[in-house]
This record gives sequence, C-alpha cells and structure tokens, in this order.
Amino acid sequence: MESFVFYIFALMTITGGWIVIYSRNLIYSAFSLLITFVGLAGLYGLLMADFIAATQILIYAGAVLILLLFGIMLTARKTSIEITQSNLPRLPGAIISSLIFLLLMVVIFSEPNWNSATNPGVRETVPMIGKLLMTKYLIPFELASILLLAALIGSVFIARREES
Amino acid sequence: MRAYFIDIFSGVGSVLVGMRVTFSHLFTRSVTEQYPREKIEMFDRSRNRLHVDIEDCIGCYLCDKACPVDCIHIDTIKARPGEDLGLTEKYEKKKTFVFPKFDIDMAECCYCGLCVFPCPTECIYWISDYEFAEYDRSNLNYHFGNVTPEDARVRYEEAEKLKIQKDKEIAAKKAAAGTEIPSQPKDDSTESAE
Amino acid sequence: MDYFIQIVTDLLPGLNGLPQWLVIPSIMFLFGALIFTGIAIYSLIILWFERKIAAHMQDRLGPMEVGGWHGWLQTVADAVKLLLKEDIIPAVADRKLFKLAPYIVFLAAFAVFAALPFSDKIIGSELNIGIFYILSVSSVGVVGILMAGWGSNNKWALFGSMRSVAQFVSYEIPIGLSILVVVMSVGSLSMRDIVMAQDGGIFNWMIWQNAPFNFIAFLILFIAGTAETNRVPFDIPEAESELVAGFHVEYSGMRFSIFFLAEYANMLAVGIIASTLFLGGWQGITGASSAPGIGLIWMLLKGFLIVLVMIWFRWTLPRLRVDQLMYVCWKVLVPISFFNMVGAGIWIGLSS
Repeated sequence: MESFVFYIFALMTITGGWIVIYSRNLIYSAFSLLITFVGLAGLYGLLMADFIAATQILIYAGAVLILLLFGIMLTARKTSIEITQSNLPRLPGAIISSLIFLLLMVVIFSEPNWNSATNPGVRETVPMIGKLLMTKYLIPFELASILLLAALIGSVFIARREES
Repeated sequence: MRAYFIDIFSGVGSVLVGMRVTFSHLFTRSVTEQYPREKIEMFDRSRNRLHVDIEDCIGCYLCDKACPVDCIHIDTIKARPGEDLGLTEKYEKKKTFVFPKFDIDMAECCYCGLCVFPCPTECIYWISDYEFAEYDRSNLNYHFGNVTPEDARVRYEEAEKLKIQKDKEIAAKKAAAGTEIPSQPKDDSTESAE
Repeated sequence: MDYFIQIVTDLLPGLNGLPQWLVIPSIMFLFGALIFTGIAIYSLIILWFERKIAAHMQDRLGPMEVGGWHGWLQTVADAVKLLLKEDIIPAVADRKLFKLAPYIVFLAAFAVFAALPFSDKIIGSELNIGIFYILSVSSVGVVGILMAGWGSNNKWALFGSMRSVAQFVSYEIPIGLSILVVVMSVGSLSMRDIVMAQDGGIFNWMIWQNAPFNFIAFLILFIAGTAETNRVPFDIPEAESELVAGFHVEYSGMRFSIFFLAEYANMLAVGIIASTLFLGGWQGITGASSAPGIGLIWMLLKGFLIVLVMIWFRWTLPRLRVDQLMYVCWKVLVPISFFNMVGAGIWIGLSS
C-alpha cells in the first residue's frame, strides 16, 4: 500500500517536471510546477516529515508559484507565449546530464546509514524543529530573516511612488 | 498617529451600529405585495381602460371627433320607426340609433381622455382594469357594437328602401307643389351609414 | 477515522468481499463522497438562508413561490437551471486551463475538510499538524484563481484574478498570526488538542482565555477569514457592478456552479476553523458529551452561526475599494495581530 502511494506521488512529480521542461507553452510549464510541488509534498509526507510537507505546499505552491506566474503573466506579449527552441545540439547535454545522474545514484546507493522503514523516526517533528531553529541553527535562522527583510525593504523601495 | 487609532475605533463602531440597524430590520414587516395573490387597490379616477355603455350612446360622434389619434370608429343605423329599443342603463327611453360598429382600438389609444369629457350622456368612461394584455394585437380592438352583421345588413337594406321611398315622395311633392318657398329646411330624416 | 471505518464495516458487511488493499481506500472514498454531498446540500441550504435574510433585512420577502412555504426549493431550481445551461467556452480562451481552473479551486476548498474535526471521533485524518495543514492547503486555491483569470483570455478577468490573488495572499498573514496565538496557548498544532484544551463549559472556551488577546485574535481571524473567501466588504474581485464578476466572468453553467460551491465551502471551512479554535469546537455549552451525534450537531451549529454572521456583514456593509482593502490588511490588521501575538506570548510566558 505504501509503495503504491509512493509510486503515484513519484509519477506525479516526474510528470510535472516533464511538462515543465518539454512544454512549448510557457504558461503550461508554470502551471505544471504545481503538480511537481504537490508531488514533492506527498513524498515528504511519506518520509514522516509532515511539517516540511505542509510548508512545501504553503511556500512553494502558495507563494513562489504565484510569483513566477505573476512574472510570466505581467510580461507577456499579446500572442501566445512560446519558448523558442534553440539550435544548439542536444546530444552533449544529454550525455553530461546522464553522467551526473549516474554519479548521484552511485553516491546514494553506497551510503549505508539510511533509516529503514521499520524505524519510524520522530513522531512529533514540529517541537523538534522549533527547538533546533532556536538553539542550534539560530544564526542561519536570523540571517535568513535579515535576508527576507532586505528583500521586503527593497521591493517596497522600488515600488513606491516618487514623492516630489 | 492619533487619527490612525480614531479611524480604527470609529470604523469598528460604525460597523457595529450598521449591524444593529440591519438586525432590527430583520424583524420589521416587509413591504412586498405579492402580485398575483394580493392586488393593489386602484385609486378613484384612475385611467386604465376605456369602456362604453352602448345602451346609453346617442350616436353624436363627439368622441370620434375628439380623439387625436382616430382610434374610435362608429357606424350608426337609424332605428326603424316605432321600434322599441328598450331602456337605457339609466332607465330612460332609448334613442334612435343602433350601432353595428363601435370600435375603440386600445392599442392605438393614447390614453389622453379627450373622448370622455364631450360625451353628453357620460356613456364613455374610464375603468380601472389594467390586466388586459393580449397575445394578438387585433384583440386589443374592443367592439362595443350591439347588432350582429346580418341584422345590420337587413337594417341597411330597409334604410335604403326607406330612403328611396322618401325621395320619391319628396320629388312627387315638389312636382305637385310647383314653385315653392326656397328656404325650406332640409329633410335629413333619412340618415344612412357611410 | 477509525470510528468511521468501524461504522461502515458494520453497516456494509459486503465490503469484506473486496480484496484487502481496496477496503480502506474505498472507505476513504466513501468519506470523501459524504463530505462532498454534505457540502452540496449545505450550499443549497445556506443560499436559501442568505436570500431570505438579505430580503428581510431589506424589508422585502425573498423567494416565496418555488416549493410552497417561503420558496425553500428555490435553490434546487437554481441548481437545476445552472446544470441545464449551455456550456460556453470562449473561442480564444485557453481550453485546458479554462476547463481545469474550477476544479483546482474546488480542490483547495475541499481538501480542507479532510482535517476538520466534526466530532470527537469523526475526523477525516487526525494530523499532528492539523491547523497548519489546513492553512497550507487552502493556499492552493490561489493557483486555480490565476488559472481561471488567464485561461479566460479576458483583460478584466485577469485584473480580477490578480486582485483576488493579492487579497488572498495578503490576508493570510493576519490569519496565521491569530492562529499562532491559539497554538501558543495550547502548545500543539493538532486540532484535537486545541478542542480538548477548551474542555469544561462555555467559560473555558479559547475566546475567553488569555483575555483580551484571544478575543482580539478571534476578531482578526473572522475579518481576515471574510476577506479570504472574497465576501463583502472585501468583495472587489468578484464585484458585480465593478468588475463584472471578476475572474469567473466567462464561466457559465456547471463550471460556474463549481466556483460557487467552492466559495460556500470556503465559508463553511472558515466558520468551522474559527469555531474549533475559539468557540469550543464540537463541545456543548457544558463541556463534551459522550453521545457521538451531539458533537457533530454542535459543530455544524457553530459553523453555521459564523456563516450567518458573515451573511449579516454582507448585507450591512458597502464594498471596500481595492486600495482601502490593502490598507486595512497591511496597516491595520498586520500591526494589530503582531502586537497581539507578542502580548499573548508575554502573557502566556508570565502566567505559566
């Protein structure tokens, strides 16, 4: 049962990714990112990382995707949007990416310390994440929030009206 | 800064006042009149549709002449001499005309009421009927005549015969009397329809 | 969910004839179908209520003809009419996006119901992160709205959908901060723990605890929830007289009825969330009772009550302009909810 659900979510993610890359219409690629994100969230959920799964949907599908879509929709030309296929040869790119894929597979399968499914891991992830963010990973947390603050101030500054 | 807080509090307060008003209106009686079941009472002298009491009409053609859009069409035939036409609606002895055709076309009528005032017997008047919509426009041409077409044809022929007879009598009188006083009142007792 | 599975296997013994791996998914499917039917019937009922309340607040009568007593079949007649309408897709519209958009919006509204606690034992899925899941899944509806606006190939629909998206995303912040106040006092994200922390009668409800911070949080949640579901006074994305129905202007018939169902399902979801977090959830006036049906009735009653207050709001207030709407969110609700959260945090920290 669990592997069945895993294969469904994996299929969803890969299909979404396929449409993102190969679709001729830019808007279709942007919207199929939604399928990819939801599939990824399902995979996180299967790994018992419930907080990360909900955060994935909230942040990626609820904010990042909207940002991408706004960027595409507000800078579109009037006719339908198509990605121009470049004329570069595709074979060297295919070979290089398959080699990288093989390298990643070798690294993953030779790692002996993965948690197996019989070890359920942590039951309540949210208190642990909260404690870790506030004690062990405090400095990256604060740096990330300063970065977001800078982005917010920058966007307000760029978008404000000039008061002369 | 103070204006900011005053704005917030007055905003919330006005919303609550508005909600109280709407809540109190939830329990007031509604003013809807549900039309097909509860009809509105028409007031006196409301001008909705014309009606003719044909028994009272004396055939004076005043309404026909007063109408600005010519929507009233009247044909009269003089009654047979000595014919008792019965009593009018106001219990007077009936006058001398019968009407094969008294049409008022309400589709053409402009509802001005100019025909109501000149009538000497008050037989054309307004009634308060407003539900006279029809599917066919020719049904809006109301017929108030009171003789059937066959009867009308019979009466026409009688009137023609009477006229011819009367003309013969007049011609005979003229020939018999020779020179007559020129100013003799015209004899228009044979009025036939147009 | 276990309770539900138990009830279903008692009622339908034929279910054991299915192969083992099909039993649980079919019961889950049955639960989903039940929720969908419940949402549809609830939409019909609440629409009748809305029209009647609107009419009586305006000193008129509302639907009176269809079905005899005060027109209670009017919404059924409207639903039948919507189903029989011609399905028009504009010739220049993007067909795939146009057809897919209502279902994504409805999906987002519908997936929230999987984690709402209807009673002590009736809950779709008892999640550790219950309220956070609800918040994140309801954000997926935004993508559907953008899809509808772009797929209509209509400038006004695109404007309406952009405004709606901006409003939706902005008002998620006060909602999140108000939920945080409750989560801080309870100490857990699970819906069941939140309801259990309000045990013990009407004066133990979350809205009266940690006064006045929880009360302000409830008001902010209610206002921001009204704004999330595009109800008046935050109606500008689907304003009937300004933007000609905004992002769903090109939709007719069945597709429009799906948007419409999604809006009413969202309203009910906001109502149930607010009553779970602040008004005691499925508990009665004197605390939780043991009969399994009573909790469901209380829950629906409280959700209904909040939806009725939203309807009352709608027929009292005029519509806010879009810049006033953004002003209310960013300059009034967000600072107040921030200070509220900080104050509640200090209060809870000091009192524990």
